[in-house]
Amino acid sequence: MSWILHRVDDRLIHGQVVIAYGHRLQPKRIWVVDDAAAASVWERSLLLAAAPGIEVRVVTVAEAAAAYASESGEPGGAFLLLRDLTAALALVEAGVPVPSLNLGGLHYAPGKSKVNEYIYLDERDRSAARSLLERGVMLDVQDVPATRVQPLRALIPELSST
Amino acid sequence: MSARVPALLVMHADLSAALLRAAEQVTGPIEGVETLSNAGLSRDQLEQEIAERVGRWPAGGLVFADFWGGSCHQCGANAARGRGEVVVVTGLNLPTLIDFLHNRENYGVVELAERLQKKGQESIRLQRGKAA
Repeated sequence: MSWILHRVDDRLIHGQVVIAYGHRLQPKRIWVVDDAAAASVWERSLLLAAAPGIEVRVVTVAEAAAAYASESGEPGGAFLLLRDLTAALALVEAGVPVPSLNLGGLHYAPGKSKVNEYIYLDERDRSAARSLLERGVMLDVQDVPATRVQPLRALIPELSST
Repeated sequence: MSARVPALLVMHADLSAALLRAAEQVTGPIEGVETLSNAGLSRDQLEQEIAERVGRWPAGGLVFADFWGGSCHQCGANAARGRGEVVVVTGLNLPTLIDFLHNRENYGVVELAERLQKKGQESIRLQRGKAA
């Protein structure tokens, strides 16, 4: 099997990922691709224990780029989680052929403006989104499988010409 | 008799406030228990909100989260880190919350957390029907 979900979510592993998508898609592995978490022994140990019954790997963007293709030879499907759109762009720029990204949770912070209830973006995020779209990566907004998928392009008029 | 162990309930949607209201209906007014929803908060923001509350506790306390592996649990664990006797207890239900309220002056933080783990597991019971 291979990758069954690429998700951008600032909560990384949490209920919507493990319970909602996990129940629907039954992943064998979750790869958390996050330089900060990979550099912290504490964060790594917390994430490794966060999804009982599912193998968790916590790696840097560079490590994920190097190992991405190997996933197709593994049994069962895998999730790939990224904290933000900048990290997603870094992964794509490192040569990883990400087909689409599920935008599941980018929460409010100062300087970010609302796209919907769970997606808030600042200029840096929008610029990364534009670059990802230009590279052919589909950006789909959806928090849990039971809600409607909405292309980010449809929610942000300025991206519609990208 | 120990000092009263403080607690913070961190859960999805309105669950923590609803659980506390339900407990108050059973036990009467409750003091020394705070509630927090993760709704709309990033991982960093939720951790900061928890850390602010836990930081006010003079000698540790309990963070109750709804389930293991969720943002409430993980951010609670991050906020508790390095703050001495702060224990995160996941899977809180109403019988366990009531047991906490009845025993929070009788135990230290760690002993109370261990008691609640056991009480919580015992609190799920089956009542089977019988064929008429």
